Amino acid sequence: MRPHFGILLGYFFCAAHHVVSSPLMKRDADFNDVKTRLKSSNQKVDASKPNKYFHESAFHYHYDGRFADKAPSDGMRQVHLRALIQTYLATMNDIGIETFLMHGTLLGWWWNRKIMPWDSDIDVMVSEKSIHHMAAYYNMTVHHHRIPESGVSRDYLLEVNPHYTNSDWDADNKIDARWIDTDSGLFIDITTLRRNTTAEELGIHGAMSVKDKHHYNYDDIFPLRITDFEGSPAKIPYAYSEILVEEYGQNALTDSYFESHRFDSSIKQWVPKPLPGHAGGARFRESFAQGD
Amino acid sequence: MPSDTFDEREYRNDWRRPAQDTVMQSPDHAQPIARKPQYVDSDKKRRSAYIPQHAYESARRILPENVENSPLIDRVTNRWRDEKKLLLPEVDEYEPGFCDLEDENSCPNTTYALIRTRRFRRTLMVILLALVGLHYIWRMHLRPRLRDEWSFQEGFLPDRINGTYGLARGGDFDGIKIADLDPALIPGGEADPDGIRRLVFVGDIHGCVDELDRLLKKIDFDEEHDHLIATGDVVSKGPHNVQVLDKLIRLKASSVRGNHEDRLLEQAKSMSSTALSEEFSSKGAAKDAALLKKLDKKHLKYLREMPLMLRIPALPKASGKKQTHVKHGIVVAHAGLVPHIPLRLQDPYYVMNMRSLNPRTHLPSADRDGPHGDCKPWFTTWNWYNSRLEQGRTFQDFFKMDNDDELDETESVGWLKATFGNASKRKHKPQVVIYGHDSKMGLQIEPWSKGLDSACVSGGDLTALVLNSKGKQVLHSVRCKDYRD
Repeated sequence: MRPHFGILLGYFFCAAHHVVSSPLMKRDADFNDVKTRLKSSNQKVDASKPNKYFHESAFHYHYDGRFADKAPSDGMRQVHLRALIQTYLATMNDIGIETFLMHGTLLGWWWNRKIMPWDSDIDVMVSEKSIHHMAAYYNMTVHHHRIPESGVSRDYLLEVNPHYTNSDWDADNKIDARWIDTDSGLFIDITTLRRNTTAEELGIHGAMSVKDKHHYNYDDIFPLRITDFEGSPAKIPYAYSEILVEEYGQNALTDSYFESHRFDSSIKQWVPKPLPGHAGGARFRESFAQGD
Repeated sequence: MPSDTFDEREYRNDWRRPAQDTVMQSPDHAQPIARKPQYVDSDKKRRSAYIPQHAYESARRILPENVENSPLIDRVTNRWRDEKKLLLPEVDEYEPGFCDLEDENSCPNTTYALIRTRRFRRTLMVILLALVGLHYIWRMHLRPRLRDEWSFQEGFLPDRINGTYGLARGGDFDGIKIADLDPALIPGGEADPDGIRRLVFVGDIHGCVDELDRLLKKIDFDEEHDHLIATGDVVSKGPHNVQVLDKLIRLKASSVRGNHEDRLLEQAKSMSSTALSEEFSSKGAAKDAALLKKLDKKHLKYLREMPLMLRIPALPKASGKKQTHVKHGIVVAHAGLVPHIPLRLQDPYYVMNMRSLNPRTHLPSADRDGPHGDCKPWFTTWNWYNSRLEQGRTFQDFFKMDNDDELDETESVGWLKATFGNASKRKHKPQVVIYGHDSKMGLQIEPWSKGLDSACVSGGDLTALVLNSKGKQVLHSVRCKDYRD
């Protein structure tokens, strides 16, 4: 048996450039084990990143190639995204995972507690304790949900990246876990907010960081505030507005015109609107006139 | 032959004339009669008249070739006539130029003469000084004031900006957002016909119960007729947090929620059985966790019932024109408020944390001058706005906050409706904010905002603002120990 294994190993090292899905590498669940409606996988496998765990689809980096072969229309994408976050928040609330909205999703929450119409992804974070809990008890679990909006039922897969234990900077494995819609292939990237041990060794308490190189203060994030998002119970960082201003600038919280959308404050919704010239005032007046 | 023609005979008689008086001189001198020959002693020795060589040569040059043998008179040319024309205009039509220094009345000369007079110099000096003074006033006072005025106004004009604070739904608040003071406690109200009641506002106490006791004693706090209102942050940082809560509960005092109470309450919601240790959280969080362990249910209940904002209506008996009088409605909030935004749309995080405000977008910041250094203390905009409201200056140009449809029943009647009510009846009323939070700024008393945090827990003062039924406000304070570790 030993020589046979040696040959296999040798073969692997020689052909590492061609065969990435070696049994020795940690990588996402095999297509045949999790496939739903597709006959073949659409995953994009980058041979230069043998350590990368999750593999996005060949057609778009926001879809999982094991479950989708094409991106849906913008309108359908928003429907799927809404279902994705609703089911995610509800499930995490049920199983006691401490998760909170961040980045673009938090900005959407600020404006109207909804995903912004131009968003193509959802950003959430979990605490260190929660990722351990998730990995220990809920890795590779499939959660069945009935979506009230569309009336259909969907299965969602919670898949944890085994590299989550490594809190060092790892460009290929920034994402610690994924909540994947096994029908549309859309997913939520879950990252872990960790104690910044490097900073702590320097005597700085309360320094936190994420593998994608975002840094936060413990007191800006915790205690988490309880609120709602897309109609589901959600948590947000304690100093939400400070975090948003730091990431997106002051105007992100006040500009009512963005990405060809205007925020109608009377109905608290982003409505599509092509840019009417460059007169900022005119746009703004309009947004107020709606409510007069 | 005209009289002014050159006569050779005359010339001959006149051979002794001095060399200067040659033919080519001015017409006056061309008439030999005009001047008698003068004899000079030295001339006697002279054998011929002095004719400069060049004059002779030039005369020869102009003679025609064939007149060599003709009489001398024929050789006479009237060339001087032409030359006269060439030469004379300069001499004849000469007028003193504007800037000719020779002329007494020329510009530089008169100017010089003028400058030399004392009176003129004095006047000039006065004018110069006045100009410098005007420039100084413009640069140092008028221009900044106009700029301020404009920048303040800009924040309210929909034409100048692409959006403003207050459009978004903003933050969430788990608790009582707006509370009204019990009418029975209003000085000079229906329950107080004699007008003997007082309201006592106290800045951030931070667990300094001894200082609070001393302060109440100093102002002769009478439990029956006085009502204590704290501006938030009654706990944390200091030494006797539980005792302060006990005292406030016993006095039936009101308080608004400060950022420290907010942190405690949020932490209480999410805290598991294992208390947070500093190692896994932060210094502040570990302290909060330790404090939470000490608190009873009644303490938490008291904390939870602290509203975000406390409204006090205009005192019925308040009058007086002095600045020390409060005659309008009061809002108590821990950190501050954004002007022109209805209370229910104020973002709770900022109400408990703001220190500054961007005058253009009205987005507040918890920092002193904002993340990009473009924010001013929030109360400057607040005071500008409210003094404008009091002056009754038009707000037609200002953007309108709509959302009347969102008013719930309790809010649609009374104060809020009157202030931010519908269309024709919409009338904004000025309000005074009483707040704490900014201990580094210290006591900040402005007409429309009263900042009472005078850094009690870090060795400053604990300050109370006492308001009587007439609207008169008096400040009292006691010195505090430095409890920082």
